[in-house]
Amino acid sequence: MPNLLEVRDLSKRFSSGGGPFRKARSMHAVNGVSFDLPEGRVIGVVGESGCGKSTLARLILRLIEPSSGAVAFDGDDLLAKTPAQMRKLRARMQMVFQDPYSAIDPRYTLTRAVAEPFEVQGVKPARPMAEEVAELLEMVGLNPGLASSYPHQISGGQKQRVGIARALALRPSLLVLDEPTASLDVSVQAQIIGLLEDLRTELGLTYLFISHDLSLVKYFCDEILVMYLGRVVEALPDTAAPARHPYTRTLMESTFEPDPKKRRLIAPLEGEVPSPFDLPPGCAFADRCPQASALCRTETPALSSETGHAVACHHPL
Amino acid sequence: MNVSQMAIRSLDAFARMSIGRAFASGIGIVAGGFLILLVLVAIFAPWIAPFDYAAQNLLNANASPGWPHLLGTDEFGRDVLSRVIFGARTSLSVSATAIAISMAAGMTLGAAAGYFGGVFERAVMTVVDLTWSFPDILIALIFVAIIGPGLTSTTFAIAIAYLAQFTRLTRAQIVRLKRETFIEATINLGAKPSHILLRHLMPNAIAPVIVVGMLAIGDGIVLEATLGFFGLGAQPPTPSWGAMMSSGTAQLFLSPWVIIFPGVAVAVTVIAVNLFGDELIRALDIRDRLRGA
Repeated sequence: MPNLLEVRDLSKRFSSGGGPFRKARSMHAVNGVSFDLPEGRVIGVVGESGCGKSTLARLILRLIEPSSGAVAFDGDDLLAKTPAQMRKLRARMQMVFQDPYSAIDPRYTLTRAVAEPFEVQGVKPARPMAEEVAELLEMVGLNPGLASSYPHQISGGQKQRVGIARALALRPSLLVLDEPTASLDVSVQAQIIGLLEDLRTELGLTYLFISHDLSLVKYFCDEILVMYLGRVVEALPDTAAPARHPYTRTLMESTFEPDPKKRRLIAPLEGEVPSPFDLPPGCAFADRCPQASALCRTETPALSSETGHAVACHHPL
Repeated sequence: MNVSQMAIRSLDAFARMSIGRAFASGIGIVAGGFLILLVLVAIFAPWIAPFDYAAQNLLNANASPGWPHLLGTDEFGRDVLSRVIFGARTSLSVSATAIAISMAAGMTLGAAAGYFGGVFERAVMTVVDLTWSFPDILIALIFVAIIGPGLTSTTFAIAIAYLAQFTRLTRAQIVRLKRETFIEATINLGAKPSHILLRHLMPNAIAPVIVVGMLAIGDGIVLEATLGFFGLGAQPPTPSWGAMMSSGTAQLFLSPWVIIFPGVAVAVTVIAVNLFGDELIRALDIRDRLRGA
């Protein structure tokens, strides 16, 4: 399969302006991330809160301008597009947001919200708009009778379905899912995940799935990128691959076992995530790593993939 | 369907609208009813007023309230009731026009500042805040110096006096709304900035601005009366509540009705505006959005 998305050395540095009484500070939210997303596959991005996964999603969709690096969508350099070209192209790359509660304008009915993608893109659907909207609502498992409701009249899970319907209205090829279930009840999470799986096979979508929940990512994705403080520390080529980075191992060990009889020892991570404003030299994980050596504290390990299973560690497992 | 059913239906529809809900309480009905009545009086003043507001009758100057001059006459023998009725016209139209200008300008400036941010925002807010640091009377004096005393000066002075409030309120709303997920989601659909601003940001920002505008009309009436009192507003013989009180001060002890009735008109109108404004805030459920502006 050809690559739908190619990300090369993507970085974003946020800086707070200095003034007479404070120094300018900058943080590397995303630091040199590269990966390929072939058409039809699902790549998961996991990491703790604040590791830059949401920023990465916004950089890829160019909702935030990257500081450096390149993004190619379907072979097209996104960063070279003019704002007008970019607006046109957005029809093909959509996003489902983490917070469904504020993802719909409170003054819009569901009909208006779901019809809005056609309005902003100036696309006329083949059928009358009311039919198109009803079809889209049905596709995401909503009763078309809800079409005239306002967002405050429906539940969180229903709102997320509306968000998905809006994203799919223009038949995109890429869907970036930014923690689409993080703010929903567990039972509703399962429904949304099931819906996303069905839609993927039905519409032949390619997903970039961002989550902090490793067991969910393992269930949902083909490949997994593990991020720590803005860098990809490990790229698992499939979900069964054993962890090679000590951080990934800790993440995997700390997921819950469904069987309560299978007790095991969870070794909690020591220490705090370093401040992204003043990263220590060397590996950002060194201070919390049981394996760390003197080398780890001086030299930043590069992501290397001799075995097809890339890891950024001086002492991989 | 007959006419009365239609009337009931449309009243019912009005009551369900957010603004209609302000009439749900007793206070809302009394205050809102008074304001509607006042607007009608102002519009139909020539048919309601019993006398010509400018007709002098020096032989009957300073007549006490009675028949035929219900509220008495002033030092030129003009009918006080007719002048109060025509004064409502001046006060309401000047205040409403000024606030409309101020709201339109303030919303445009505030929305642009909040949306574009950066140096533009800082420049707009600095200039707008500067207008706030001048006393209203001083602004009026500047306009009087430029274009001479009269209702135009008064209107512009009131408009500038409230510009900062509308600009700041709109900007605060836009800045808050800009961070909502639905804005990012709509940008990601490929929407132009004009679509974001006009279809999402402004419609969500407008309710508190309207309420503040409503309340500002009350303040505008007081400011108009103040400027009129100092002779900077309506010029004789145009009746204005403030100017009437000013001319009444000379005969304060001889014919107090000349100053009392316009004063009562100002007080009752402003109280009604404020009470109705409070009901509107409650009806639109925007109390917390008015903070921090």
